[in-house]
Amino acid sequence: MRSFVRPSIGIAGRIVAILLLTLLLEFGVSTLLYERASRFAVREDEAHRLAEHLVISRKLIADSAPAARAATAAELTTDRYALRWEQALPPPPTISPTLDGMREQILAWEPTLAASDLRVQLVSPGRNAYVTGGLRLPDESWLYFRTIEPLVTVNLALERILLTLIPAVAMMIVAILLVRRMLFPLRRLAAAADDFGVADVDEVPEAGPGDVRRVTAAFNRMQQRIRRLISDQTQALAAVGHDLRTPLARLKLRADGIDDPALRRAMEGDVAEMGAMVDSLLAFLGGDHDPERAVRIDLAVTVETIVDALRDAGHEVEYDGPDHLELTIKPMSLKRAINNLTGNAVRYGQHVWVRVVQDDTDVTIAVEDDGPGIPEADLIRVLEPFVRLDDARGRDTVGFGLGLAIVVRTLETLGGRLTLSNRVPHGLCAAIVLPRAADMIPYEHAAPQQRPVAIS
Amino acid sequence: MNAHLDSPESPSSIVLVEDDPALRTLTARALQQNGYIERPACSAPEMWQALEAGPTDLVLLDIMLPGTNGIDLCRALRQKSDVPIIFISAKGSETDRVVGLELGADDYIAKPFGTSELVARVRAVLRRGALDRRHGRPEQGILSFDGWQAILARRELLSPSGAQVELTGAEFDLLISLLDHAGRVIARERLIELSRTRLGDSSDRSVDVLVSRLRRKLSHDGKQAPIVTVRGVGYMLNVAVTRT
Repeated sequence: MRSFVRPSIGIAGRIVAILLLTLLLEFGVSTLLYERASRFAVREDEAHRLAEHLVISRKLIADSAPAARAATAAELTTDRYALRWEQALPPPPTISPTLDGMREQILAWEPTLAASDLRVQLVSPGRNAYVTGGLRLPDESWLYFRTIEPLVTVNLALERILLTLIPAVAMMIVAILLVRRMLFPLRRLAAAADDFGVADVDEVPEAGPGDVRRVTAAFNRMQQRIRRLISDQTQALAAVGHDLRTPLARLKLRADGIDDPALRRAMEGDVAEMGAMVDSLLAFLGGDHDPERAVRIDLAVTVETIVDALRDAGHEVEYDGPDHLELTIKPMSLKRAINNLTGNAVRYGQHVWVRVVQDDTDVTIAVEDDGPGIPEADLIRVLEPFVRLDDARGRDTVGFGLGLAIVVRTLETLGGRLTLSNRVPHGLCAAIVLPRAADMIPYEHAAPQQRPVAIS
Repeated sequence: MNAHLDSPESPSSIVLVEDDPALRTLTARALQQNGYIERPACSAPEMWQALEAGPTDLVLLDIMLPGTNGIDLCRALRQKSDVPIIFISAKGSETDRVVGLELGADDYIAKPFGTSELVARVRAVLRRGALDRRHGRPEQGILSFDGWQAILARRELLSPSGAQVELTGAEFDLLISLLDHAGRVIARERLIELSRTRLGDSSDRSVDVLVSRLRRKLSHDGKQAPIVTVRGVGYMLNVAVTRT
């Protein structure tokens, strides 16, 4: 069973994060430099143009008659600069930092402007910044100017950023794909480790970076060692089973020859108990376990057959469920699990109900009895091996107290689970919940009324 | 124990192959007490000698003999002879059972077994063998009817949608009896007699109960099972059966 893993960024994620960080850093730094350089260049360029425009305008306006000066200023207004002639310089706006740097640039280009008391200021009527200023004409009147275009447009910068991002994003995608590819062997290894013991796991092919290859090789060797250990143990257990069952068979045949019926029955009981113990121990440790293949069976009929057999043995057992329900499963394992639960139920209860219920995701086989149930505190503990609640459920337990542990283990290999709950007023409900495989086709048309399972 | 003796026509001779000396002696005694003549063997070579020593009606074979794979021995024996085989296994293994039955063994006994189980199975297999000889029908092949398939060697029933449908030994025997007489009415008494020649537990339930269980299991896709009751007489399977 997969345990819940705290979400964590995998190696690929980390590598991508590092790449992203460095790329962002690189991008940020280069953008900053580029932006600064370009802005500087724009200003330099603008300063030159402005300087030339101002020099020409000053000459033309100073040369024209005072009455024509306003009209000349208007004529000199281009789509870049607005010019206005005033008798006196309008007072500067409240927040208008002087652009000393730009003034220096203009003066550097046209030193003659220095004599005209050039003033350059930044005004921001809206979001955009404009350069404004004035210069004094020889007759103490002022030529006022203002840039029409905002100094720096934000849109332009955004577009530039996006353009720079495209190669960065493409690089990221390539990097992610490459890293994913590089780490694929690791993911395959994780999947194999997860499946080990549940499904058949082949050797994991060694691939990927050196570290991953070493881990894969180590995993394969470990897998071989575990397999060898398990198969040795299984063979040893099968041998023990054989060696115990042969003397048990002798004992059983000898018991048949005893004339005293009471003694014979007692001895037969002992032999049966020992046989059951050998069976349950082998079932638990896997000594008898075959690599059973999943086949398509009619689960409902299998359950009905078990119920029929219990009825023939004189127990009060009722079946409640569809007549037919097909699914693909390991039949012997499932039958062992169901038999185990029904065996418990008829031992502790007078009346037993076996219900088969299916919903969209699961098939539930619920075995309910009207016996004493299990104290709530022991519901979990009773699933563990070698636990017997003798005081609560009587002392006639057969075997080692492995029954439910075997069921739990068997269901794990089938992908299902066991739930235990007490019934009201008394009794136990043991339910096998099997995931409904995709290929399961219930073909029951006239399904009898299906009562929901009372799991409380 | 003589209560189990069911008056066989003449004492059947059984070759018993078992490596454990004490168990061999005890099993032999149980068989003798029930009127069978047995010839013990403790290994594969001894088994071949015992088989040559005289006519044999049945071989009881422990498949876990030292030095030999019981499955291989079973196969070799089946190739040479049609003698009924019951194999004894200390492994509670379903695979062994299926493989053994597929190789042509007639039945299977798991250790530990008691006298009554042993004798019941021996008797059932001997009877079935006699019946097959009379009818000349080996327990092989597949009987198909109405989309269903009964696989004789594995004693399996497959539904029209291909799912294994579990039948008890008695139910399977009853089904085979009905299939053998498809389209003909079989009297209840005759059905009881036919069923009793098979596994020892067959006669425990009434034929009517078995038929009703079989009907329930043979319904499919909303369709009723093809078994009709002929009032006051017996039962009939009313679909065509093909044997492959």
